[in-house]
Order: sequence, then C-alpha cells, then structure tokens
Amino acid sequence: MKNWFKWISLIAVIMTGALLIYGTHDMPAWGDPNSPANSHVSPRYILEATKLTATPNIVSAVLADYRSYDTLGESAVIFTASISCLFLLRRIRKEKTSEDK
Amino acid sequence: MLEYILAKYNYWIYVVLMMIGLYAMMGKRNLVKKLIGMNIFQTSIILFFVSMGVKKGGATVPILMGDSHGHGEQLIQVADYLNPLPHVLMLTAIVVSIATTGVALATLILIYKRYHTLEEDEILAIRKEASAYKTLGT
Repeated sequence: MKNWFKWISLIAVIMTGALLIYGTHDMPAWGDPNSPANSHVSPRYILEATKLTATPNIVSAVLADYRSYDTLGESAVIFTASISCLFLLRRIRKEKTSEDK
Repeated sequence: MLEYILAKYNYWIYVVLMMIGLYAMMGKRNLVKKLIGMNIFQTSIILFFVSMGVKKGGATVPILMGDSHGHGEQLIQVADYLNPLPHVLMLTAIVVSIATTGVALATLILIYKRYHTLEEDEILAIRKEASAYKTLGT
C-alpha cells in the first residue's frame, strides 16, 4: 500500500515536471536583456532610484521605499510566526513542569 | 539545438530541483524529510526568480556607481545593472520560507512530544488505535 502511494506520487511529480519543462519553451532565453521581466518596471527603478530616493543600492531602495508596504507585511509575517512559535513551545514547558510535579 | 539548450538549461535545473522537493513532500513518510523537501522546493523557486533578473553582457549588481569615484554624475545605462525587482521579491520569499520553517519545526517538536515518532504512518496508526479505543469505550 505504501509502495503504491509512492509510485502514484512519483508519476504525479514527473507529470508536473514534464508540464513545466514544456512550459519553458515559451520562456525568454536566459540572460536576455530585453525579456519581459527586464523591460517593464525595472528600467524605471534603475534610472530613477537615486533621483527619487537618494539611495545608490537599488534593491534596498525598492525594498524600503517603493514597496515599503510589502516590507511592512513581511514584518507582520515574521511577527505572526514568532508569536505562534512562542505559543507552541510554551505549552511544552508547561507540560514538562506538570510532569515534574 | 545547442543554442536552445544553453538558453533554457537553467529553467530545467530549477524544474528538476522542484521535482525533488515535490517528491520529498509527497512520497516520503518522515515529517522532517517532508519539511526538507518543502525547503528544496522554495529554494528552486527563489533560484528561478533570481535567474529571471540576469542580463548578459557585462551587467553588474544593482548598486549604482558614480559619485563615489569622483567622476560626478554618470549616465546610467539600464543594460549595465541587473534587474533589481526579482532580488527584492525573493528577499520577501526568503523571509516567508524562514517563518514557515520555524513554525513547522515547532509543530514537529510538539508532534514528537505527543507521539514519540516522526514517521507519518506510525502516527496515523497510533491515532487509529486511539479512535478505536474511544468507540469501544462509548
């Protein structure tokens, strides 16, 4: 029964991989400077980052200036994860103390 | 044909990495191995996005040069710098992957505390046994 499930998952994974490799046929070539990802928003960032944000590092300019709401949400994610880790691991400590008693 | 392979082989590497991670998440029975598979999956996605920002032909990291060299204002060429947007997005993705890994490891500690095993089928057997006892009791 377990081997049966492993074969099913292997077939599903190979089918997903084949679909994705078929999809790379339409992707732009690697390192193409005129690919869609490199030619829509990023030229504006590269050309205007120092003018608008006075930061030579474009990555940090985009991270903390253009997309600072994204970074705010990211910090909310870290906060949620740390709080949930805190609650999950605090329950263990309580159980330990109750076992000791 | 060789040109086609050279233009696309990086995507194929990421697809293979993603397949390894997906198989580890689906086919493995150990929960820690599943978590490692999820991390491999996320790493393949991160590598894929970073490789989309690559520009061939002498482009460098997206940190603007100019004033520090004392040459004054230089004309910025877009083709001289890598695409900064995938780098920024993948910083966020790395943070999310760290958060999910931390919560998952904390949950695994709890699971091990309760069942004293991390094998999925053993946990399912223990749960089935417990539920059988419960139905017998009522």
